[in-house]
Amino acid sequence: MTAVEIALFATVIGSMVLFGGAAVLALGWAFRSGQFDNFDRGAKSIFGPDEPIGEATDGFPDMNHERK
Amino acid sequence: MATTAAMTTTVDDSARDRAQAAAERAAIDASCRGPVLFFAASAIVWLLVGSLLALLASVKLHTPYLLTASPELTFGRVRMAHLQAMGYGWLSLATVAALLWQMCRLSRAELVYPKLLILAGVLWNIGQFLAVVGIILGDATSVEWLEAPAYAPPFFIAAVGIISAWTVAVFRRRREPHVYVTQWYILGAIFWFPWLYLVAQFMIFWSTAVGVVQPIVNWWFGHNVIGLWFTPVAVGTAYYLIPKIIGRPIHSYYLSIIGFWSLALFYSWAGMHHLIGGPIPGWLSSASTVGSMMMLIPVLAVAINHHMTMRGHFHRLRYSPALRFTVFGAIAYTLVSVQGSFEALKDFSEVTHFTHYTVAHAHLGVYGFVTMIMFGLFYYMVPRLTGREWASSTLIRVHFWCAAVGIAIYFAGLSIGGWWQGRMLNNPNVPFAHIVNYTLPYLFSRSIAGTLMTAGHLAFTVLFVMNVAGWGQQRAGGPTFFVEPPSASLSGPQRIGPRDL
Amino acid sequence: MDRGMVIFLGALFTFSSSWLGLIVFPFQQLGHEQPYQKSDSDDPYPQPLQGIAVAGKRVYQANGCMYCHSQQVRSQRFGNWWDDNGEERTGADIKRSWGLRRTVSRDYLYDNPTMLGTMRTGPDLANIGVRNPSAMWHHTHLLNPRSANPWSIMPSFPYLYKREKIVGDRSEKALLLGREWTVHPGYRWRPTPQQWDELLRERGATILRQVLASAPTETFDLTTADGQKRLLDFWLTTPEEDYQIVPTADGEALVAYLLALRKAEVPLPEAKE
Repeated sequence: MTAVEIALFATVIGSMVLFGGAAVLALGWAFRSGQFDNFDRGAKSIFGPDEPIGEATDGFPDMNHERK
Repeated sequence: MATTAAMTTTVDDSARDRAQAAAERAAIDASCRGPVLFFAASAIVWLLVGSLLALLASVKLHTPYLLTASPELTFGRVRMAHLQAMGYGWLSLATVAALLWQMCRLSRAELVYPKLLILAGVLWNIGQFLAVVGIILGDATSVEWLEAPAYAPPFFIAAVGIISAWTVAVFRRRREPHVYVTQWYILGAIFWFPWLYLVAQFMIFWSTAVGVVQPIVNWWFGHNVIGLWFTPVAVGTAYYLIPKIIGRPIHSYYLSIIGFWSLALFYSWAGMHHLIGGPIPGWLSSASTVGSMMMLIPVLAVAINHHMTMRGHFHRLRYSPALRFTVFGAIAYTLVSVQGSFEALKDFSEVTHFTHYTVAHAHLGVYGFVTMIMFGLFYYMVPRLTGREWASSTLIRVHFWCAAVGIAIYFAGLSIGGWWQGRMLNNPNVPFAHIVNYTLPYLFSRSIAGTLMTAGHLAFTVLFVMNVAGWGQQRAGGPTFFVEPPSASLSGPQRIGPRDL
Repeated sequence: MDRGMVIFLGALFTFSSSWLGLIVFPFQQLGHEQPYQKSDSDDPYPQPLQGIAVAGKRVYQANGCMYCHSQQVRSQRFGNWWDDNGEERTGADIKRSWGLRRTVSRDYLYDNPTMLGTMRTGPDLANIGVRNPSAMWHHTHLLNPRSANPWSIMPSFPYLYKREKIVGDRSEKALLLGREWTVHPGYRWRPTPQQWDELLRERGATILRQVLASAPTETFDLTTADGQKRLLDFWLTTPEEDYQIVPTADGEALVAYLLALRKAEVPLPEAKE
């Protein structure tokens, strides 16, 4: 490995650490500021009164025995 | 349990809530109808064009005299036109249809500026037409994934710019306070793709990056267009459709977050393994090998999450076409990604690189995974946009089995043939003629697979045209829903015959 | 997570890491490479493409040659195989004589686009100009690869050639191929038994004279079916009298480009393997 290569390698590793570190810090901030609170609600946000949890919403067109 | 009086009120309230929510969802779907169906329809046109080009290229590879005197239909041009038609026509336009509709639904916001979107769709299709026709007429660049002649990209760039800006505009109008995981994937994709495309266009065609910097940029783009454009939207779609169809929230929202951020961080590093052993600095492919192996984290996170969500609901694959296609795609995502991680290792890559094995891997990704999920989405989305059910469940079955068996034969044939092709290429005592002859039956099996897949696409096109033309049974009022009969689909006298599959 | 900005910044940071690492740094590292010159009297290596080879590169691009042919020689460390004694060996590319050494980034200094390729459905072409310097061989092979290698699955490229009536002398550029390859350029022609009977009836004596001119020691018993078939086999390998096949400008350019592919020829200090 030449000096140039070592320098480049160090820069790349350094930038990975830097950006990876920034990502970790951002995650940490997100946790602390409550971005990840109440996951349950997040997962349920796609359901509503019209299509509630527990109701399937798709079937083959002629399989009416599955329908109400 | 509440008291009887309270229960009556709740029932009244919930009936009103239900009607209200249904009306809101119906209004959102109605607002999406024009632009989303336009993108979906043009995606299907390009799917057919791409299929025919693929079939022709495949047959030409084992029957070289077929149409060999035609410059327009020589193997190289047809192969490039196939990639452009599928990558930027079918996959990208389907991806746009998917992200537009899901962004509206998940933001609980109606689609705005529909004419702008139609304009974007028209621009995209013009660019796409110029790309495919230009390649056929001999203007191709021979830069993989960027074969389009110089007059096509400006149309793509304008269209992508409109679509990205529009997505952000809808997102900012959201009424739903929570940003669902699918929306993260969509937001990531609409930001990454224009960046990727501009950098690649700029560095390869508009500036003076020559020499091996070009293939480096080329494969950073080529790999990321799959990983950061098709994959996020397809995975996001699975994160929406699977819970939505079976009526059960995602198993672990934590895992979905880990999956998203690790995908964002690692996938973008993975592209250089396409150049492993090539004339590029060694540290580049090493960095990519690390990135590829780290991809196991998001892939396993998604796999575990989807599997745990589906657990106890697998019997529904029997009656929901959308679910069956989507789950097929989700399983293929796990398979293709794990395979891809190991393919990036030097010992593995030096056999499979330069062979049909890589082609099989690529198709498991773009077809088994992305295309199948897009089919699943179309089966779910289109009836809700047109207000019509699919006209024929037989055609849906034909589509599914042609696609599923087709990709299975494709993958098995080229993986086996490609592996031994690679082993023989590495042995200088094996004459090249022997390798070519050895691969012929496998190339032939690919043509059979391609015929099946094309047949499936025709069935799908017929279904789509019938639906849009209003031939299906009307959906009852706004968005129809049906209550799952409590455990009825498992218990009770039920015959499961071939017709049910 | 309810904030779009968080997602945006996260997407920005994760992606910029790869953009910097995989694009900007290599661009810096490789952007300043210079041609190699061992001594002042030597020509610098590599040289940009010259003359019609530049147009030939366009033909190579337009027809997607690189989707079956790579242009890179991998080092001795790549490609594991087992010899007859069961010992593991490596370095197949060089042992297949695809190049004397591995190719390195400097070999591609003037390539635009750089068609390294990702498939070896056909053999590597990084060094084809050194490996097979015969322009005529490339022309006959491009017209119909089966004329050189019966097992080949490469497309024929008859549209890079034209079949024309000979006026005066046969052109120097005319392809040296038997009539089976030239009657229907790109395909292999053979008359049906009825056609052959007819030909023998009409021009039998001429055909026999033509064949004997190129194969004087042969004898043909034209009273038997076997003799007639043998005459046909010989006759098909003789050139057409009135027609010739010559390369078009595109055909000439493409072969000039192929012959200019001479990577892995000049030794470079950084490519020892």
